[in-house]
Amino acid sequence: MARGNEDPFPVAQERGGPVGWARDHLRVMREAWHYVSERFSSSLLVWLLVGIALALPAGLYLLEKNLEDMSAAWDGRPGLSVYLNLDVESGVAEQLASRLRSEAGVATVVTTLPEEALEEFQTHTGLGDALDMLPGNPLPASIRVTLEGGATPADLDRVAASVAGEPDIHEVVLEKTWLARVRDISEVVSRLSLVLAILFGVGAVLVTASSVRLAVEARLEELRVQKLVGATNAQIRRPFLYFGAIYGAGGALVALMLISTTLLVIEAPLVSLFSSYGSELELIGFDPFFLLAVLLTGTVLGVCGAVISAGQRAFELEIH
Amino acid sequence: MGYIEFHGVTKRYVNGYEALRDVSVEFAAGSMTFLTGHSGAGKSTFLRLLLRMEEATRGQILVNGVNITQLKSSRLPYYRRHVGAVFQDHHLLAGRSVFDNVATPLRVIGMPEKDIGRRVRAALTRVGLLEKERLLPLHLSTGEQQRVGIARAVVNRPNILLADEPTGNLDPDLSRNIMSLFEQFNQIGTTVIVASHDRELIQGTGKRIIELAAGRVVTDSGDGKVAEVSLPPSTMPHPGVQEVAGGQR
Repeated sequence: MARGNEDPFPVAQERGGPVGWARDHLRVMREAWHYVSERFSSSLLVWLLVGIALALPAGLYLLEKNLEDMSAAWDGRPGLSVYLNLDVESGVAEQLASRLRSEAGVATVVTTLPEEALEEFQTHTGLGDALDMLPGNPLPASIRVTLEGGATPADLDRVAASVAGEPDIHEVVLEKTWLARVRDISEVVSRLSLVLAILFGVGAVLVTASSVRLAVEARLEELRVQKLVGATNAQIRRPFLYFGAIYGAGGALVALMLISTTLLVIEAPLVSLFSSYGSELELIGFDPFFLLAVLLTGTVLGVCGAVISAGQRAFELEIH
Repeated sequence: MGYIEFHGVTKRYVNGYEALRDVSVEFAAGSMTFLTGHSGAGKSTFLRLLLRMEEATRGQILVNGVNITQLKSSRLPYYRRHVGAVFQDHHLLAGRSVFDNVATPLRVIGMPEKDIGRRVRAALTRVGLLEKERLLPLHLSTGEQQRVGIARAVVNRPNILLADEPTGNLDPDLSRNIMSLFEQFNQIGTTVIVASHDRELIQGTGKRIIELAAGRVVTDSGDGKVAEVSLPPSTMPHPGVQEVAGGQR
C-alpha cells in the first residue's frame, strides 16, 4: 500500500545535506584523533612501525635521485686524465695539452705540473710533513681533459686514442668507467627501491589494517548500536578511515624524521668524501615535494589498510 | 507513516527451526499492540524481522507500502531511522555518558550539536533522567538504564517504536512506569509494538494483544477473535498447532 510515488524512507533528505555530511566528518575526525591520542603509547608503536616501513624505500628513493644527479652531472662533462711519466719535462706536458686541445669535441684542457700536484696533495691531505721526508716529488704531471656536453663514450675513446702510445705517457684514465659504475649502482638502487617500496608499502598497509582491526573490535558494541539506529556502512567505516589516515600520516612523519636523522648522521663523512673528489655535497630531493609525497603516500597507505580492515566488518555488524 | 503489514511471513533458521510460520497480521498507523506468548514463541523474531535484523525466509513485510524484505542494504539505514528499538538488555554504550547514548541516533543523521542538546534533554526529561545526563550507564539502576534505552529509541521521533521485553528485568512498579511511557509515545501518533511475556502487565491496558505460540498467531484481540487452540507447553514448533483464521487478513 504505497502512498503514491512518495518514498517513505527518503535517502537525500536524511543525509542532512552537505553541511550535515561535513559536520559529521568533522566530528568523526575529532573523535578519531581523541581515540588515537588517548592510546598514545600503542599509537606511537604503530607510527614507528609504519615510519620504519616507509623510511627505507623513501631513503632509497633519495639515494637513487642523488646518484642519478651525479651520473647526469658527469654525463654532461665526460673526460679523461693523462698521467705522464715522472721524469718528463714540463714542455712535453704543454705539447701534449696543445695536441689534445686541437681534438674535436674537447672543451677544456688543464695541465697540472708535478709541483702543483704536490701542493694540492699537501693542502687536501695534510700529509705535507710525510712528503717532506721523501727524497723527491713522487707525483707526475697530469693533463685533465673535459669533453663538450653530449659527448659519447666513443668520443672519449677517440680523444684517448689520439695520445695513447706516446712514450712520455704513463697512464690514461677514462672517466666513463666511473660513470658506468655510478649508472649501474643507480640502476640497482632504483630496482631495489621499487621492490622494497612494494614490500614495505604492503607492510605499512598491514600494520595499519591490524591496528584498525583492533580499534574496530574494541568498538563493536558501539558500531552495532549505530547500525541499529540507522548508520550507513560509510558512516560505520568513517572513523576507521580517519584512524588509518592518522596512523599513515603519523608514520610518514616518523619516516621523514628517520631520514633527516640519517642524513645528519652521515653528513660529515659525506662532506669529506665529496671534498676529496673536489666537489661540494649537494643533496637533492629532500625538498617540499618529497615531504609532501611521503606524507601523502603514508596517508593513502593508512587509509588503504583501514578500508581493508573496516570495510568488510561494516557489512557484518548486527546486534544478535 | 507507521502502517505495518505481515503477509505469510515465515522465518526458518539454518538448523530447520521455524521461529515464525506463515504469519499474516496488520498494524494500523498510530496503534499500540502487545505481542505476547511464551519464551520462544516468536515474539523477538517478529520484531527483529521488522527491524530487518534478520531476513524473512518467506512472505512480505510492508511498512507504509514498502516491502522491507526487498529493501536494498544501501537503503536499510534510512528505513531504520524511522524505527526506534528498545531491548531487554538495553544495548547501551558503557563508555559513553547517558547524554551521548541518547544522542547517537541524532548524530547518525547529522543533526547540529545545539539541536542535539535540545532534543536529547527533551527525551531525557520525558523519561525522568535529565539530572543524570552526565553519568555513565554503569552508574544507573536497571530501570534507569531501560529508560535511557527508551529515550534513545524515541529521540529521533520515529514513526514506529518496537520494544522487546522492555520490562523483563524490572519490578512491577517500574514495569508499569515503562509501559505508561510507551502509551505516552503512542498517544502522539507513534506506532508501538511491545513484545512481553508478562500477561498481567498487558492485560487491562485496553490495547490490542496478539498472542504467538510456536511461531503462529493464536489469538488477536484486535479483530475480536480468540483462538481455541490447545498448545503444547514446549516452545518448539508443533505440528498440532492450528493457524487461527481470524488472525489472517
